[in-house]
Amino acid sequence: MNNIIGYYTTQFGELWEKSLFDLVEEAIFGVLKQTNLENKQIDAVFFGNMLAGVLENNLHSTSKIAEILKINIPIFRAEAACASGGAAFNLAKTYLEANSNKNVLVVGAEKMTDYSPEEAITGLSAAASGEEQEAGLTFPGLYGMIANYYLEKYHYTEKNLSYVSVKNHFHGSLNEKAHFRKKITIKDVLQSPYVAYPLKVLDSSPISDGAAAVILTNNYDMIKKQKHSAIVLASEVITDTISLKERKNLDEILATKMAADVAFKKAKINRRDIGIAEVHDCFSIAEILAMEDLGFWKKGTGGQKIMEESTMFGGGGNLVVNTSGGLKAAGHPVGATGIKQIGEIFLQLTKQAEKRQVKNAKYGLAHNVGGSGGTAVVTILGV
Amino acid sequence: MISPVKVWRRQKEIRKILGKKGKILVWTKIFTPGADFKKYAPYPVILVELENKEKIYGQLVDYEEKDLKIGKDVISILRKVRSSTDEGVIAYGVKFKPL
Repeated sequence: MNNIIGYYTTQFGELWEKSLFDLVEEAIFGVLKQTNLENKQIDAVFFGNMLAGVLENNLHSTSKIAEILKINIPIFRAEAACASGGAAFNLAKTYLEANSNKNVLVVGAEKMTDYSPEEAITGLSAAASGEEQEAGLTFPGLYGMIANYYLEKYHYTEKNLSYVSVKNHFHGSLNEKAHFRKKITIKDVLQSPYVAYPLKVLDSSPISDGAAAVILTNNYDMIKKQKHSAIVLASEVITDTISLKERKNLDEILATKMAADVAFKKAKINRRDIGIAEVHDCFSIAEILAMEDLGFWKKGTGGQKIMEESTMFGGGGNLVVNTSGGLKAAGHPVGATGIKQIGEIFLQLTKQAEKRQVKNAKYGLAHNVGGSGGTAVVTILGV
Repeated sequence: MISPVKVWRRQKEIRKILGKKGKILVWTKIFTPGADFKKYAPYPVILVELENKEKIYGQLVDYEEKDLKIGKDVISILRKVRSSTDEGVIAYGVKFKPL
């Protein structure tokens, strides 16, 4: 049985004082301190990062982490665009399945605000197909296409989408590590300028810096010594075409559906058992599609369901979504996001989520997407 | 970094998809582009299904706002697609105009 025994995240935001590896170092030593582990007790490290090679000409990060940790162990980097963190976690879990009595560190990090928005957008576009890049399609553009198709097909408006951002900013106001802690209104969202029609600035996650880390173990004695632990019931990765145009349906992320189906089967629980979820809301439309494709809401009903506010903290529903603030308000340092999502579920299930603590959740789900749906990672934890 | 060789290799394929008619499957308009497309913004990008069922992306040019709708008939044309590279190679590609 693989357990998470600790989580640490840096502040997310515009962290001009800190380099990528300053953030990695803070996250690593933060989680070691929380779990009372020494560096020599770590048997392997998995690092989630997308852009260091593209923006900073900075690769071979695994060796840099060895230098930070002052140890000589296997260290691997995982890259799957915005799902890099989730992919790193999945590989760590797989490593534990092949090796008994080991402690594995999973760290995700990204440094994005050293660069102009155009440079960051160009870097992120590396995760789109060559044809999409050549047409000048950015990621907001690809999700803008998905949103436009969804709104037209199911007869919704931009107002339906705006409820996602209002909810997640409210949650961000309760998370001291979030990039944005300001509550916003429907009017604020609707009056913000367009990024890629019909998506506006306040439909979109920001460009952020940050790092997050968890420790996974299958050492039973180690689990017994820890104050907090959560069981990894499932972690599934599914890939799909990199080009949006090659997908059969433009109003679904097939990789999410498939990863969720396998994950629920392996976890041996039902959708209604999940009390807390972190879903990939890089844009408002993405949370609505995620809720449908994960099987929580029927396809096409998400635009209406989000307006009922049942997934908001304090909203009275049985499933609360994106208590961290999601990518929208907590921020989206790409490689860190997947780890932060899993970390938030860990905090909730182990009753460490403070002002945003959801009551009585026994099972939680984290959902991380790369690109416009070319990779999806679904992780289910339980206590 | 776009190598001029990459531009040359891609452009060999363009003539096969010029002058083709199709319909807009979905569209967006980009207001915050990447570095190579800054001077064109805001610009619409459409996904088109050609008459032979092939799907192609491209920017829509010479358009009016009323042309931005699903199902609109368009035709593929040759246009410069991004700012020139440092080597001075002009990247041509496919864009669309309304019919």
